[in-house]
Amino acid sequence: MKSLIFCVSLLASALASPSLLAQEAPIRVGMSGQYFPFTFVEQDELKGFDVDVMNAIGEELGRDIQYETASFSGLFGMMESGRIDTVANQITITEERQKAYIFSEPYVYDGAQVVTKKGNTEIEGVEDLKGKTVAVNLGSNFEALLRELPYADQIDIKTYDSNLERDTALGRVDAFVMDRVSASQIIKEKPLPLELAGPTFSQITNAYPFQDTEAGRALRDDVNQALAALREKGTMTSISEKWFGTDITQP
Amino acid sequence: MDVLNVDYMLGLVPVLLRYLPLTLQLAGIGMVLALILACLFAVVRVLRIPVLNQLTIVFISFFRGTPLLVQLFLFYYGLPQLVSALTVIDGITATIMGLTMHFSAYMAESIRAAIVGVDRSQTEAALSIGMTNGQLMRRIVLPQATRVALPTLMNYFIDMIKATSLAFTLGVTELMGATQKEASGSFLYFEAFIVAAIMYWIVVELLSKLQHHLEIRLNKAYSR
Repeated sequence: MKSLIFCVSLLASALASPSLLAQEAPIRVGMSGQYFPFTFVEQDELKGFDVDVMNAIGEELGRDIQYETASFSGLFGMMESGRIDTVANQITITEERQKAYIFSEPYVYDGAQVVTKKGNTEIEGVEDLKGKTVAVNLGSNFEALLRELPYADQIDIKTYDSNLERDTALGRVDAFVMDRVSASQIIKEKPLPLELAGPTFSQITNAYPFQDTEAGRALRDDVNQALAALREKGTMTSISEKWFGTDITQP
Repeated sequence: MDVLNVDYMLGLVPVLLRYLPLTLQLAGIGMVLALILACLFAVVRVLRIPVLNQLTIVFISFFRGTPLLVQLFLFYYGLPQLVSALTVIDGITATIMGLTMHFSAYMAESIRAAIVGVDRSQTEAALSIGMTNGQLMRRIVLPQATRVALPTLMNYFIDMIKATSLAFTLGVTELMGATQKEASGSFLYFEAFIVAAIMYWIVVELLSKLQHHLEIRLNKAYSR
């Protein structure tokens, strides 16, 4: 009888404090696992800048992080259908996306960068993309950035799900556009004959998107709190230094 | 860079092998369910059961007429938008649902063709000696139809194994998804995809062997 009362009271207290239950549920984070060095896999282990930052946020909040990997083009669908809580894949804050989702504070500041095959002297910057074939990731913000250019109709934009670096190195496209940070990283670390073409052409800020629901807003507030604390402690800077040798988490 | 990185490929084999069972599971379950569904469709079509026949025709037309990837997206991302409770459909279930419906539409037609292909005189003979419709199907028509349908059904199964590579778009890390992620970590695309290709190839080769043995068994009655 005693144990029954104990069970009932335990159940009652659990029901009475839904926040306690919510605290224990892991944060479900979607990422592509295909965006070096932010999220990638080596010998079956998910790694990268975005994994480290998200783990730090989880630690700060005392919550587990559950990673779900899927093709980039599937990630927003997964969030839309409630299968993940947020996307940690260098999501750039855009007007379009802000209509559909709410964002945390930015945690990466970067710029859009044109990258060409090594030795390409024709393309020295974004203004040289006229009449060229340019690759961007499907669903990424770089496509929209290119389409905003005054001469956008003269650029042949090709969208890729993955492997656009390789196709540029092979010469199937003239250039690709990506954020400067990961483009430099790819050139530095990977055996592909590529080079940066000119300076960055648009400031971009990346953050975590959430659904505009009560739960989404609560989680965003928690994440913002954690981000602020991690900045304070210098954790953000040290994670960035580890991957990039420079601090990309400051404007 | 120009030389094939064999060490990397060898290291990748045990990693990717962990994902092979899921690939086989998706295709295996999908195949069993698709077979059941396809047999039902075929029977409905052959017997021209009113209403069901028309519904089946529309079903087959839709699932043969639209890409599998579109169907997978509809099940996984589309349905929960209409009914939020359908979020319980996880990536694996949605993949199996998609494979089942897509391939059952194709298989139903080849099973129907195999049944219709059994000579009408045999049906008449069976009925004339007093067999019931059920006996006729079990003893005369289906054994012969199975023999005719087997090669095409095996073809669909092989196709289905390779179609599981679409599951990563639904967040299911099967053989192809695991390969893509490993490749984007190492940038050794050729090495990674060649390992995956060989794995698919070996599986399909083993299945072809199985098909060969089954065909010999089913052809016993015809050899002299």
